[in-house]
Amino acid sequence: MPSRVDPLETMPVSRYAGAVRWSLRLWFGALMVFLYLPIMFMVVFSFDESRTPGLPITGFTLHWYDVLLDNRVLLGAVGNSITVAVVVAILATAIGTMAAFVLVRGGIRYPNATRIAFTLPIMVPGVLIGVSLLIYFARAADLPLSLGTVIAGQLVVTVPFVVLIVASRLQGVDRALEWAAADLGASPRQAIRHIVLPLIAPAILAGALISVTLSIDEFVITWFTVGAQSTLPTYIYTRIKFGVTPEVNAVATIMLVATLLTFGIASLILGRARRLPGRRRGPVRA
Amino acid sequence: MATEIVGGAAVAPPTSVSGGRAARLRQLAPFLPAGLILVGLFFVPLALMLVFSFWSTDENLDVVPVWSLENYANFFDNPTYVRTLAKTMIMGAGVTLACLVGAFAVAYFLARYVSRRWARLALLVIIVPFWTSYLLRVYSWQAILGEHGALNEVLMALGLISEPSRLFVYNDVGTFIVLVYVYVPFAALVLYASLDRFDFTQLTAAQDLGARPIQAFRHILLPQIRPGIITACIFVFIPILGEFLTPSMVGGAQGLLIANLLANFFKNALIPEGAAVGFMIAAFVILLLVVFRRYLRVEDVVARA
Amino acid sequence: MTVFDQTYTRRRFLQASGAVGVAVSFGGVTAACNLVGGQGGTFNWMTWGDHYMPDQLKAIEDSDKIFANISELSGNAEGFAKLKEVKGQLDMMSGDALWLRDAYHKEGLIEPFDINELKVASQLYPFARQFDIWTTPEGYLGYPFGWSPISIYYNPKFVDPAPDSWQVLLDPKYKGRVVVENQPEEIVADMGKAAGFDDVYNMTDDQLATVKGYLEKLKPNVLKFAQQATDSVNVMISEEAYLITGNLGNEDRVKDGGGPEIKGFIPKEGTVGWMDAEMTVKEGANKALIRPYLEKANVAEYIAANFIEHGRPLFNEAAYKVLVNQGEQERADRYLYNKSEEVLAATTLKGPGTSTAKSIQLFNEVFGA
Repeated sequence: MPSRVDPLETMPVSRYAGAVRWSLRLWFGALMVFLYLPIMFMVVFSFDESRTPGLPITGFTLHWYDVLLDNRVLLGAVGNSITVAVVVAILATAIGTMAAFVLVRGGIRYPNATRIAFTLPIMVPGVLIGVSLLIYFARAADLPLSLGTVIAGQLVVTVPFVVLIVASRLQGVDRALEWAAADLGASPRQAIRHIVLPLIAPAILAGALISVTLSIDEFVITWFTVGAQSTLPTYIYTRIKFGVTPEVNAVATIMLVATLLTFGIASLILGRARRLPGRRRGPVRA
Repeated sequence: MATEIVGGAAVAPPTSVSGGRAARLRQLAPFLPAGLILVGLFFVPLALMLVFSFWSTDENLDVVPVWSLENYANFFDNPTYVRTLAKTMIMGAGVTLACLVGAFAVAYFLARYVSRRWARLALLVIIVPFWTSYLLRVYSWQAILGEHGALNEVLMALGLISEPSRLFVYNDVGTFIVLVYVYVPFAALVLYASLDRFDFTQLTAAQDLGARPIQAFRHILLPQIRPGIITACIFVFIPILGEFLTPSMVGGAQGLLIANLLANFFKNALIPEGAAVGFMIAAFVILLLVVFRRYLRVEDVVARA
Repeated sequence: MTVFDQTYTRRRFLQASGAVGVAVSFGGVTAACNLVGGQGGTFNWMTWGDHYMPDQLKAIEDSDKIFANISELSGNAEGFAKLKEVKGQLDMMSGDALWLRDAYHKEGLIEPFDINELKVASQLYPFARQFDIWTTPEGYLGYPFGWSPISIYYNPKFVDPAPDSWQVLLDPKYKGRVVVENQPEEIVADMGKAAGFDDVYNMTDDQLATVKGYLEKLKPNVLKFAQQATDSVNVMISEEAYLITGNLGNEDRVKDGGGPEIKGFIPKEGTVGWMDAEMTVKEGANKALIRPYLEKANVAEYIAANFIEHGRPLFNEAAYKVLVNQGEQERADRYLYNKSEEVLAATTLKGPGTSTAKSIQLFNEVFGA
């Protein structure tokens, strides 16, 4: 895999190039601080002695992690959330990518109108979608509510994101590359796999990530479409009468650490695999 | 991005000409799941809600088929709805602009100066906080921005202010900050996906040919990532119109946005009234999209092969 | 679209389905592992988070193999709307005061029962088994659990003289220092009380017009709407707010969080309040498990522990004695544990009302932009 930084680019081209690069680095750092500051507070609160997560910190304790392990309702909610998020991500990415191909490469009579149609679910307030699905499932479709209906409801708002992101990227893929590959003897499958797929991979990945992000903390649609189950957001947001305890902070901290670890390890493994000698992969940067 | 190909594959190679409907169905097949979701889980339920919005709620909190335009009339009779909608749109526009600026710098940095592997990791690290409960993160923001919170302590320690400021939270400033916080990662993801595909050597080439950096930027980079910018705008601005949790938690009593007014109805099982407000919001957004449709056409920039 | 795209996307679809299959079965396996489901069985219960405790559930699972599958309830109106749609998918439902009679029972969703058939009901205060609003010819509408009036809490350091009325929330002295709960119909009802009205969930248009003036005076004073009780407690701890409304028990919560000493009172004009109960859903498939569960779950020891945990009074008289034995009498008396009958008699109980739609419109009008 060719190194990302082209030697052409390290050649100074303008007086300001260095300064620009440094300010960008600074900006990136500042953004990371901005994003993680509340996270740090959230983690700190999970060790706070007081029942109410917030300042001031009255004392340090591991009590909340302790009771968390016995709280099967909360743990069940977390399990449901993760399951739903994974299924939604996989389905939304698959369905959205397929639809994007058809949308961009022909087969739809009115592509512009369809594109706008896909923007509509993002446009309607989630509350309205949630209520409409509850009425629809319960009265029109006569379907019992369950995690399945939650997944269906979340797909309504995640598939459009995937379609639009992937379509936007797919738009810019030069068909001539595939035709050239065909001329050189590649089968359609090989052309797609080695040319188009790597080119749109970032968009597919972005779509998957957005789907997980939208799903895992999704409350509004989930609340209306869930049956006799709970997810982590429904557990947390409904504690109106008496509030949350730092147990939820503890759960969130564990999930955060687990996710970061997983990505860190996965990235290390993939990195190592890539450095192994073998057939040179990767797209021709067109 | 059109390339001039001399000879060779300037035209699509002949495909097998298969007959009529069967071939068309096979063409459309991959689109069907998405189409079914859109029609069956979105349009049909909403059509039901549209009908409900013309009905009324009786005392048993049942929706009864008493046709009336009252719910919609209320939207206009009561000036608060239009005012709040306008305020929400302004807030949305401001947040979108801030997100674009902030996210663009980050996406540019990651796309140009960072190897792809680390860039992807960085994006993951940016997204991961959003897999924790939003409520908990907003509690943290309250602790940071509050009167006796971290920000005030720092500002006072630096001597910039002499007493704690109540400016940062429980008002529109707080809503703005937290909304930017929530949407910057989305914008960054979308912009990165777009910038990643851009060949930065074009900028160097342009400068070799005598263009100033800003000119190269404006005439080469921006047009090519326009679809990405437009997508990012849509992904930030439109969901903000449906945001009610952020304003209710950090917006203060004066900071209600249109979705709060909507949620107030649904929390009390007043479905027709809420549906009317919801459709009015959607109608205004559609109006916006129609008015700005020329800027939204993404195929303009990319030559269809 | 050419044949290229077709094969590719079909293959991706197959791959995706395979992945989905794996994920779903994985999810199914983990979900199944979570369920106990022994001889006792599982029943579905929609309730507020303070109606159970994890160790209590575990003990009942171990001893009787009864597994309570809990889903969260946020408010009466939403719960009622949900039950109307899902009906038999739930077996037990919690609800407040007049909602039992005027919504759930009226709609025919719940099953009244003879409360005296339950042995554990003898631990309740006698009047708790005879509330007028829950008594019907077919039986009692729900098994009583807890209650609270809405009180006003203030920080004596900043609020002077000691207030005794709703008017203190409207005092311009406290601009931006009041926090109320994010429940529009409740805020309108509270202002109805401030205006001296009694039946604040069924107000006439004239009454609402009066209340509008009160709401407009309240608006500049409100710092924020508390999404949860945690919010109210936090603003009192940080002293960003001097006045909040809420359930009983906030003094201790604020103290426990490292905050100042605060005081609470019930306004002299009267207040609204709630008392909740567990209802049996008529079409529930597993409703047979409800009685054995209630027998085990509502014993004095658990109720006393629940009081310690959440700090609001409950209807179990035997639990009061347990608390006294544990040395918690001072706290129980402070929370009016023994005084439920008198306090509730002077309180307007929560319930569905005829003026809800108009109240929400009014609230939106005043508090919108």
